[in-house]
Amino acid sequence: MAHGLDDVETGQGETLPRGAADRILAFVNDLMVKASSAALVAAGFVLTYSVIVRYFLKISTDWQDETSVFLIVGAVFMSSAAVQALRGHVAIETIVGFLPAGVNRARQILVDVGSLAFCAFFAWKSWALLHEAWVDDYHSGSTWGPPLWIPYSLMTIGMALLSIQILLQVMGELRRRSRAR
Amino acid sequence: MSLLSIGLLYGGATLFVMFLGMPIAFALGAVATLFMIIFMPRGSVDTIAQNVYEEMASITLLSIPLFILKGAAIGRSPAGRDLYGALHAWMHWIPGGLGIANVFACALFAAMAGSSPATCSAIGSAGIPEMRKHGYSPGFASGIIAAGGTLGILLPPSITMILYAVAAEQSLGRLFLAAIGPALLLVALFAGYAAWKFRREYRDAKVQYHSTGANSALLQVDTLTVYDKFALLPRVLPFVILLTGVMVALYGGYATPSETAGLGAILALALIALIYSVWTPHDLQPILIATLRESTMLMLIIGMSLLYSYVMSYLHISQSTAQWIVSLQLSRWVLLAAILLMVIVLGFFLPPVSIILMTAPIILPPLKAAGFDLIWFGVIMTIVMEMGLIHPPVGLNLFVIKNIAPDISLRDVVWGVMPFVALMMAAVVLLCIFPGIATWFADAVMGTK
Repeated sequence: MAHGLDDVETGQGETLPRGAADRILAFVNDLMVKASSAALVAAGFVLTYSVIVRYFLKISTDWQDETSVFLIVGAVFMSSAAVQALRGHVAIETIVGFLPAGVNRARQILVDVGSLAFCAFFAWKSWALLHEAWVDDYHSGSTWGPPLWIPYSLMTIGMALLSIQILLQVMGELRRRSRAR
Repeated sequence: MSLLSIGLLYGGATLFVMFLGMPIAFALGAVATLFMIIFMPRGSVDTIAQNVYEEMASITLLSIPLFILKGAAIGRSPAGRDLYGALHAWMHWIPGGLGIANVFACALFAAMAGSSPATCSAIGSAGIPEMRKHGYSPGFASGIIAAGGTLGILLPPSITMILYAVAAEQSLGRLFLAAIGPALLLVALFAGYAAWKFRREYRDAKVQYHSTGANSALLQVDTLTVYDKFALLPRVLPFVILLTGVMVALYGGYATPSETAGLGAILALALIALIYSVWTPHDLQPILIATLRESTMLMLIIGMSLLYSYVMSYLHISQSTAQWIVSLQLSRWVLLAAILLMVIVLGFFLPPVSIILMTAPIILPPLKAAGFDLIWFGVIMTIVMEMGLIHPPVGLNLFVIKNIAPDISLRDVVWGVMPFVALMMAAVVLLCIFPGIATWFADAVMGTK
């Protein structure tokens, strides 16, 4: 099973046989990357359509901007786990080169646990927001007024997947350490 | 706890988690959330997801992934190689014309792709071997490409400029226009240096030829036919028309910045499909993957930086720091120099995105109080951050060059870019003396502010 962003994947040290959870998440990430790619291109078409109908057909535009926002926000959150799978979220690694290997591994676990805590908390708060938007039927304040559960659900799913991805990375690192002992 | 202690704690905690190696987006979000829990009313932490969504759902900010898509489409096609080839064919007769052609190719490509590393990679992969084949020293050849690539964050549609416009609440159209004069100044300085340095290397090669008989490639003259000159134009002109068309759409009032980004992305995809037959899902996959990877990383940093700034503002850290800077009553040029020095130091560790969003609430009020035009400052700040792309320790473009020309030592690359860093500093000084270089064109097109 390939990660969605395998084409640009770089080595991450010793690899262990991947468990079912890793394989399932890799499959989901692959799907999310494909859907996000399609969403980005779709956003481009929507905005192009907006220019054409407004200036050539003289039709007023109302739904195009928000549709693009939903598509792009969705693409960003939905592909964040696939980016994390490749450690693609940029970090300052100035001290990494100066630390002994053992200390560095401990630092990586600490960083991952901190990242997991934040992402899981954010996913939980996104879920609460989604629930509120669904129950109270929130809509955006524009003339078109689409329901807000749409972008909130994409944000919630994306952050949940990101949290699961980091959790699997932490567990993988712990497994690697226990095998090394 | 006093405001000063909270502010110091906030800054200290941020530095600690960032230097620990936590991804910048999560580090900013985690520190902001922690301070919300400790120092802000209980209910405020329930709004973090809503805050991030509302900040990110700005249609101007969301033009960034589409500009990245446009850049990736052009950057991953052979357009860079063809552009370089066409300019070389037309400029080879000028002494140092090859180096100058590389500078112009970088500028044009940067304006089309909007990315510094993509420009370095696309033009450098064709330009560096060609310059070396013609006897240019490795450091000189890599310096031209590394420095030329930096124009990507200055020329429209620069992502750095989009973020600055959002953070400083300035007109994006005016900011784009204000960058054109300084970008042309930098192109002229780089091209002038390329011609001067060529003459020096040519003179040395001639002396060596007369004393030892060793015939350097620098002394050989290319003969290109009229066919060579026209052969590549049909492949290059559509991209130049795209670049011009997108700018006309933006400034002619036909499209908003986000619509321009969407239009540019779709037209770029259409052009690479028509000209290079890049249209199958298999061909497009690397372009879309590269776009998603960069966009996701960048947009999460932006979202969390905005949450970070919100907390800083709610706790009055940014306002108090800004007031404190104003109360120092520094002379305006000392203030500017201190701020630019801070930007340079931050550039050692942070990408331009984070520098702008994290520092804007603190540095812009004092600059405004000192009477600086924030559009002009946006251009200056961008040039200073451009310098960060080619000077150690981070110098992203240095590593791009090292990647495309691995046999050139990093030492040669670093020494090769140093004259260009000096030229960029000279450009900053010139902009301080003659601010009209930045403001004149924007005022002429959009009227005086």
